[in-house]
Amino acid sequence: MNNSFNITKETNGDIEIIKIGGYLDAHTAQFLEQEIESSLKSQKYKIVVDFSDLDYISSAGLGVFMAFIEDVRQNQGDIKLTNMKEKVFAVFDLLGFPLLFDILGTREEAISKFKGK
Amino acid sequence: MLIENNNDFICINADSSELVRIRDFVLLKAKAFGFDETTATKITLAVDEACTNLIEHSYKFDRSREICIKIDTNDSKFTVLILDDGNSFDPLSKQKLDMSEYINNIRRGGLGIHIIRLVMDEIKYFPRSHNSPKNILMLTKYIH
Repeated sequence: MNNSFNITKETNGDIEIIKIGGYLDAHTAQFLEQEIESSLKSQKYKIVVDFSDLDYISSAGLGVFMAFIEDVRQNQGDIKLTNMKEKVFAVFDLLGFPLLFDILGTREEAISKFKGK
Repeated sequence: MLIENNNDFICINADSSELVRIRDFVLLKAKAFGFDETTATKITLAVDEACTNLIEHSYKFDRSREICIKIDTNDSKFTVLILDDGNSFDPLSKQKLDMSEYINNIRRGGLGIHIIRLVMDEIKYFPRSHNSPKNILMLTKYIH
């Protein structure tokens, strides 16, 4: 792992919750990619990414979500993104990505949506 | 050496683990110039994307190579100069990205130059020559 990026994962039923912090860039994107890959290998397709502690994202970080979004949706799952700081959301917004990704305020909202509540 | 004593100049090895140093430097300068947090972060992002492209495509991950950044400011003008000595490549020669096509087809990668175009007000490129041993990408943002 890298000291400018941290990642933790927890499970809530069939939902994987990945919390990321620090900087998601060309150097650290590989760590998130490995974590999502391991979820998919375990056939976990419902993923919540909690951005609470993330301070920065570049296109390399966005590319990780682009790489997996089709795969999870084809398997009745999704990657839902929550708790973004304004400056991180601004990068998604700049590119029009709110059209593509389900971006929510809290991880609880994302979990409820997955559970169909 | 000029580099050592100039507060507006920084050089890094061409390694993605070094990008954070460039971002810290540009963010600090952009905020000190007067940009708000979000705009300063976007300028930092544009510079990060340009440097990432150099590391991956021009230097092909050879970390012994070098990228230097210089900040020039003048009235309302904030300019970041990115200097490298790889093969010349004018990012403006790349076709503009159609984002609705990009999103509909869920592609990956290729967003760096698009981000630079979206964020910066002016982009100029000067390939290296006999008189100038470095390629220079000049990214300018105006403060309003």
